Amino acid sequence: MIEFLHPWALSGLAGATIPILLHLLARREPPTVEFPAVRYLIATTQEHLRRLKLQNLLLLAVRTLLIVALVLAAAGPTVARSGLPSHAPSALVVIVDNSPSSGAVVAGTSRLARLQSAARDVLARATSSDALWLVTADGIPRRGDAGMLRGQLDALAVSPYRLDLGAALGLAAEVLASESRPGEVVLLSDLQASAVSQADVTVPLVVGRPADQSTPNAGIGRIDTGPQPWSTDGGRITVSVVGDSGAPVPVTARLGERPVRQVLASVGGSTVFPPIAAPAGWWTATAELDPDELRLDDRRLGVVRVAPVARVNWDSASKYVAAACEVLEANHRIARGGEVTLGRLVRGGSIVMPPDDPARIGALNRALAARGVAWSYGSPVAEPATTDSGALTGRVRVLRRYQLRPGGSGKTGVLATVGGAPWLARSGNVLLVGSRLDPGWTDLPVSAGFMPFMDALLNRLARGEVALSDGAPGEPVALPDLVTTVRQGERVWSVEGGGLFRPHDVGVYYLEAGDDTVGAVTANLDPRESRLERASDAQVRRLWKGARTMTLDQAAPAVFSSAARGDLRGPLLWLALLLALTETALASAMRRRDN
Amino acid sequence: MSAGRARLDLLDPFEVSKLGGLEVVTEGVVEGFLAGLHRSPRRGFSVEFAEHRMYQPGDDVRHVDWKILGRNDRLYVKQFEEETNLRAMVVCDASRSMAWTGSADTILPKLAYAQRLIAALSLVLLRQRDATGLITFDDEVRSVLPPRARMSHWRQLLETLGTLEPGLGTAAEPALRRVVQQLRRRGLVVFVSDLLLDRTLALKALRFLRHRGHQVIVLHIMDPGEVLLSGPAEARFEDPESRAAVVLRPRDWAGAYRQTVESVVAEWRLACRRHGIAYHRVTTDTPYGIVLRGALSTSSRAA
Repeated sequence: MIEFLHPWALSGLAGATIPILLHLLARREPPTVEFPAVRYLIATTQEHLRRLKLQNLLLLAVRTLLIVALVLAAAGPTVARSGLPSHAPSALVVIVDNSPSSGAVVAGTSRLARLQSAARDVLARATSSDALWLVTADGIPRRGDAGMLRGQLDALAVSPYRLDLGAALGLAAEVLASESRPGEVVLLSDLQASAVSQADVTVPLVVGRPADQSTPNAGIGRIDTGPQPWSTDGGRITVSVVGDSGAPVPVTARLGERPVRQVLASVGGSTVFPPIAAPAGWWTATAELDPDELRLDDRRLGVVRVAPVARVNWDSASKYVAAACEVLEANHRIARGGEVTLGRLVRGGSIVMPPDDPARIGALNRALAARGVAWSYGSPVAEPATTDSGALTGRVRVLRRYQLRPGGSGKTGVLATVGGAPWLARSGNVLLVGSRLDPGWTDLPVSAGFMPFMDALLNRLARGEVALSDGAPGEPVALPDLVTTVRQGERVWSVEGGGLFRPHDVGVYYLEAGDDTVGAVTANLDPRESRLERASDAQVRRLWKGARTMTLDQAAPAVFSSAARGDLRGPLLWLALLLALTETALASAMRRRDN
Repeated sequence: MSAGRARLDLLDPFEVSKLGGLEVVTEGVVEGFLAGLHRSPRRGFSVEFAEHRMYQPGDDVRHVDWKILGRNDRLYVKQFEEETNLRAMVVCDASRSMAWTGSADTILPKLAYAQRLIAALSLVLLRQRDATGLITFDDEVRSVLPPRARMSHWRQLLETLGTLEPGLGTAAEPALRRVVQQLRRRGLVVFVSDLLLDRTLALKALRFLRHRGHQVIVLHIMDPGEVLLSGPAEARFEDPESRAAVVLRPRDWAGAYRQTVESVVAEWRLACRRHGIAYHRVTTDTPYGIVLRGALSTSSRAA
């Protein structure tokens, strides 16, 4: 079956009628010329007419065929391959899964090296007529010729980014959607089961995976440093070990350059290390395993803020808040003092809540304005709503609240929202809460998250610090409003508060507001990368309809076989050249004979 | 016309035709033709002496009577009996095809060319006292002028030629057979035609004339446009006589046509030679003098 790359060009076949039309037009009634020697003409034509007619018909056929051959060549015909050495021009997306799991070393060779080798074999089969893309874990489709993509393959390293294979196939489909050439996708991956997700595959898909099974692996899945900040008495580090290795593994934890602690942990469980004390400051917590086949997940980072507990005056606070403060005091998370005042506006750090009596809102707003606070209370809202999900509060019902109105400096300093509207905001060392922390206003005081909330509110937020957050390389992290720069060692990024920051690699990134460090983001590998278990071929075929799964060695020969069509443009152009030469020879011979 | 003036016999016939009527042009051509001869074209100097006459420029000095010159100091030439007995008949084709010219602006029609050529030939013959007659024909015999040797007869010839109009078809055989009635003794027959006729019949009649002992000269009149085919990119070529037609592109067929014409001429020449008939192909752009020289040299050799 013949198919065409540019079927619209077939409209040019109408041009094949040109020689015939010219022939018919030329047959119109010619002028009559009186000529006495017509008998000589008749004798001449009788002798040559048959030959001339044959030659003219031949010339007509050659010219018509020449046009047909050129038009067909322009339409890019391809035919089902039957021993033809070339394939039809195709659009090929090569997905090389260089996610962290590809760093696993099996039988002395890294998975990535084998994937690269298979990808080079695929590219070696491409021709200059093919459109080629390379997609790796960073999710950026790179177009180029085979040589250029080979260079990028050679420079390819194990990426800290996780690659969702279903999403990668979707991206490949988008890339191919704009191509007129028949598209095909080659996925070269370790086929980590956790990375295989549903995808709507509409183009031929070749899946190349290692012939051997994955090896058992263990990695640090999580490092939890508990409520922040730590007091100078120290805190606990909890480490979770993930993976598919059954045997217990030794886990080492340390805080900065402090002495190392080591325990034996089982895979799939969590281990709590004994308290580690440290002076005030920002500390990097590290949990490590002994090296195994996959080195990247053997180490995980966390951040610990060590600071003296906040000294709080909660005399004017509601009973729920007061009770919470007493519990925190009993647990040495706060101490009595004047550093932060709860429930009313004073000269120092203050956490302000709306008064019970609405008539006092005006006076409060005037006092806030006099302090230079950028926020004020607006209209009361009696409609129940829920706090938006966040590290600080989670989702908690809010029954009553006051709108928080930003001042002239804009909507900055928002720490929590309800239905998208500010509910907890900070201006300088003053925090405004949109509801009273009372069950009549919100469910928060009677929820499990109330104590952590109060801890964070008093120890971090009221002291100008923001939440610590975890992320993964390549995944965007929302930055608090006050952050101006992000720093990792000597590297510094200027950022816009309220925007997004995308950690490029594994590491700790400190958030700074001016000269002060106000938070940190830790970027670690996705813990799912530690599970190297490979998806079965049946699972792959079920999720990706029509996919052909094979070993990496078999992938290259299978590529382009789905578009297993021979390009007929070359033979047609040769035929056109032959016809053109025949036409020239015929016309010249006839002209010579006539002369 | 004098010998000192332009030789009209060597000029382009079309240009010559512009100089005057048939008589004037013909006389000019003949004067020029005779002046160019090194020896008198007068022929028939046989051994049987007939009379003397005054020497005229162009007469062969071998025939000067030196005795009379010595006695009377006058130039006389000897004339012989056989000379005056030559009778010539010119048979002229006046069919419709003879009225054709490929280029009316530069080439005379074949009939007009033949008229002037026959007039000149007749004058030359009459000047040497040969009786000359004329038969014209198209699809039938149109006119018959018996051969006479008087110079005044030339006027009659001119009149007949001058009133000649192209007819329709071509039937040469009856005209050629009429020659037999006019030439009782052996004589000269000049057949002037474009030979677009029934070749078999014409050759048969010509052979018959030869069989009767006549010297036969065929002047095959052709227009240059009949020799080299030209015309519009494509045309319907139609025979003015038979209305037979053929559609073709001259550019495609010019080469093959030329070969056909050459083949036809060769066939005529071969057939004529085979029967002792002199054949001359004459294109209508050929100066008359050249044609006359060829035709008369042929008749002279035969005589």
